[in-house]
Amino acid sequence: MPPLPSQQTALTITSLLRLVALGLISGAAIAPRLFSVVEFESIIHEFDPWFNYRATRILTSKGFHEFWNWFDANAWYPLGRVVGGTVYPGLMATSGIIYAVLHAMNLPVDIRNICVLLAPGFSALTAWATYMFTKEMKDESAGLLAAAFIAVAPGYISRSVAGSYDNEAIAITLLMITFYSWIKALKLGSALFGTVAAMFYFYMVAAWGGYVFITNMIPLHALALMLMGRYTGRLYVAYSTWYAIGTLASMQVPFVGFQPVSTSDHMAALGVFGLVQIVALTQVVKSHVSSTQFQGLLSAGLILALGVIAFAGMTYRGMIAPWTGRFYSLWDTSYAAKHIPIIASVSEHQPTAWPSLFRDLQFLLFLLPAGLALCFYHLRDEHVFVVLYAVAASYFAGVMNRLVLTLTPVVCVATAMAVSEMLDVYLDVGSEERTEKEKEKEIAEAEDADAASKPKRPGPHIHSLDTRLAVILPLCSLLAFFILHSTWVTDVSYSSPSVVLATYNRDGTRNIVDDFREAYAWLRQNTAEDAVVLSWWDYGYQIAGMAQRTTIVDNNTWNNTHIATVGKIMSSPESIAYPLLRNLDVDYILILFGGVIGFSGDDINKFMWMVRIAEGVWPDEIQEARFLDAQGEYGAIEAMRESLLFKMSYYRFADRIRFNQGRSRVVMDRVRNQPAPIGVSLDYLEEAFSTENWMVRIYKVKREDVLGRDLKSANAFVSGVKRGPYPERVLTRRRPLDIHVV
Amino acid sequence: MLFPPQVSLLLSFLLFAVLAKATPGDASFAHDELRALAATGGGVIKLDTSSYELLMNPNRHWSASIHFTALNPRFGCSQCKQFDPSWKAVASSWMKTTKASRDNHFFGTLDFDDGQHVFSELGIAAAPVVLFFPALEGPHSTGRSDSVKYDFSEGFGPEPLVSFLSRYTPIAIPYSAPLDYAFMTTAFLLTITSLVALPFLLSALRNRWTWAAGSVFLSIVMTSGFMFTRIRHSPPVGRDGQWVASGPQTQYGGEVYIITALYSVLGLAFIMLTMVIPRQPALQRAQLYLWSLVIALVYSMLVALFKSKMHYPFKMLF
Repeated sequence: MPPLPSQQTALTITSLLRLVALGLISGAAIAPRLFSVVEFESIIHEFDPWFNYRATRILTSKGFHEFWNWFDANAWYPLGRVVGGTVYPGLMATSGIIYAVLHAMNLPVDIRNICVLLAPGFSALTAWATYMFTKEMKDESAGLLAAAFIAVAPGYISRSVAGSYDNEAIAITLLMITFYSWIKALKLGSALFGTVAAMFYFYMVAAWGGYVFITNMIPLHALALMLMGRYTGRLYVAYSTWYAIGTLASMQVPFVGFQPVSTSDHMAALGVFGLVQIVALTQVVKSHVSSTQFQGLLSAGLILALGVIAFAGMTYRGMIAPWTGRFYSLWDTSYAAKHIPIIASVSEHQPTAWPSLFRDLQFLLFLLPAGLALCFYHLRDEHVFVVLYAVAASYFAGVMNRLVLTLTPVVCVATAMAVSEMLDVYLDVGSEERTEKEKEKEIAEAEDADAASKPKRPGPHIHSLDTRLAVILPLCSLLAFFILHSTWVTDVSYSSPSVVLATYNRDGTRNIVDDFREAYAWLRQNTAEDAVVLSWWDYGYQIAGMAQRTTIVDNNTWNNTHIATVGKIMSSPESIAYPLLRNLDVDYILILFGGVIGFSGDDINKFMWMVRIAEGVWPDEIQEARFLDAQGEYGAIEAMRESLLFKMSYYRFADRIRFNQGRSRVVMDRVRNQPAPIGVSLDYLEEAFSTENWMVRIYKVKREDVLGRDLKSANAFVSGVKRGPYPERVLTRRRPLDIHVV
Repeated sequence: MLFPPQVSLLLSFLLFAVLAKATPGDASFAHDELRALAATGGGVIKLDTSSYELLMNPNRHWSASIHFTALNPRFGCSQCKQFDPSWKAVASSWMKTTKASRDNHFFGTLDFDDGQHVFSELGIAAAPVVLFFPALEGPHSTGRSDSVKYDFSEGFGPEPLVSFLSRYTPIAIPYSAPLDYAFMTTAFLLTITSLVALPFLLSALRNRWTWAAGSVFLSIVMTSGFMFTRIRHSPPVGRDGQWVASGPQTQYGGEVYIITALYSVLGLAFIMLTMVIPRQPALQRAQLYLWSLVIALVYSMLVALFKSKMHYPFKMLF
């Protein structure tokens, strides 16, 4: 047997191994996130990323100042949008800096590739940050496990695949680094780490609206520690540094502005800051004058009560804005559904059913209790943080689908602690001998401190090899299963760019459905550069990004009335919608229709929200009840059939289906599995373009008739149908020339 | 007395209905009748086919809210039973308004057994339904003749109904929630008990394992879709008695219990394996095998359950 390496060598080897392991974990984090690039192409995904991409292009091509003062006249026509003041610029700035650095090194990388690959790159950083964070909780091996978990957990991959160029892509990294610095600052009482935490907090504020989670988590932790009687000078230094610098820095972001001192979302941080000062003061006084303890306690309680009353009073008087809708809807869960349909309509704001949580976190979910129990067993200051974070985040994840993202890191941390503890206990082969030593040591200790009357519990120890295997082998298979699961989920659920769709035939071959880009390219190449395109808000960013045309509403959703106007146009009959369309200078209308190939995310399935949002603004003109049939569901009843969206969707639909399938009597809509209406005619619009699978249909809004007639009678005249004072029977003998009428 | 009072009332109904039919344009006559009926019914007119016609007078200068229900146990309409008290409470609070405004709006309840004809005429296939019929003439008519339907997704309680109806009634319904004596008694008793048990409670609150149990329980419940069922008002089980809703984006209330139980058992097993058994030399081997087996079995059940809800290529033991 070779001699064991010296302790110094062993340490060097372990740190090298750790580095190698971290490198491999980074690779494991990046690789599954590239599925989307491998399976499709290097393309920006979904909706919001298209805006971020467009903004980044402005930043890199025109410079930071131009970007900062950017007034986007192509969105929210005719209002426009002040982008600099309404955007979290952290993401764009990050890729802008990477772009500048690479180009300074003469590496001419396309900005699109930087944007596409930013999220996978940052996920490797997240793995590192999680390692550092967990290292503070337990030790390095737990840290490595946590890094490995977060690298492959689908809950985080869902928001960070290549091409998903969204704020969350960098936000989770910043979240973990901020939390790590906070724990470090708290442990060391270090103003330096407090400042680091504040700086990363600032970066986070500049990057994602979810920064409010940090704004409330850290004060909650500080408050809990004080309530547990664990106030220390270290806490004072860490919290005061973080709050003072972090808040001042965060106010430099124009979109945030004075919110940290004027809205309820931020009041907890401010209140705890005040409380920390008072407690610090009483501690100082107490250390000098012994009898003031009671008074100090009393005054702290008084101040707290006064603070709450002042807060309530100021909210009432309107000096502090009440909770913003999005956050308020987290507490009063029925609030959004009743009052803000625009928030309730977004699918990622829906509550989470258990299968989606299980899909995102799998076995991590039920190892979480073991991790939490371990935290309670040790219960150092930093463990309190993990517990608070886990409980709060699991509530939020249950209420809102997108917040599973914030739950994922803490679940990884807690689970890694549990798994690492298990590995420690069950793999500790040398424990036979060591326990002998420990026993001796314990006996010695017991003799030392026999005043402590309670018997010391024996240390963890497993007696036989077969039981070790009976636990370790299943554990390893659980871990392996998790990897398989994550890879599968990433591939199936999270790798689709949703700009390009894939369908699979019976034999497994793949069809690429590229209708969106076809439509946007058509718009870009065939319409005037200043043409105004109306669509439902979901597609606003894509039209601006890919078709480069002016939109009425987009995914920014800052103006509810404007969106409601679009909803009203879509749900009104042609003759009512036409003046609105002309008022808004709309040239083209773009809709999604899935009836041909069975794409369920089309506009008719979103119709409910168009009506509800429109009803919120014009309750007298649009009523949801008018669109509901006797069963209380949206049915093809009169109001629905007359609506512009419905007509645009089914215009010439029968022709298309019959062209493919011969003359069958019933024409089926493949999404709703209902017979589609036939003989739909349009008077005020004309079809401009329909894509290959008819998923996107573009209509041109006709100009007013040159002879001053209304378009309906003008059309009737052209097609030979004459309405009016003349007896109709004379003229109806001629068959209408309009081939659309069946 | 020849007839019990209800029957004689019914007879008088029919009589009036016939008279009303004979003079269909005479709205003021019908109005007097309705007023009397509303007063006797405590704010709610118990309708049948003929009194429905009376209420729906084509020349009416009053508006009406009608509650279509099916309270007969043979329909098994639990929502009808749930909603009925709310309706009565709202209708009776309307009687608190001044006499002048009270008579411009009527509340009626039409049970399916009393007016099948009306149900089929209006195309009502499911109960309960609340419709508001506007006034067609007089100062309160808005020029609109179609009815408005109450959306039950806003809730079965009286408050959302009041806020819905008050949009259309001549004046807002002066509804105030009655004092909840049961709740107050419970709260009172709870306060007393907790005061008595204060020393015990305090020591429990100082024990970290109380908090541990609390936070573990909370995180398990929250991750088992509890909030989903709260927000979406999911039924406890499916219509045909099935426990598991199909599809990954949905679930029934019953699933919360199943998933909570499975997660708890698995969580407990891992806590035992990690923290408890290694410190217990006695019967260690048996316990370790037992808990490993529990994990394998329960996790397989969980995966099987998950597989039943969505396409999933993996399975464990079964």
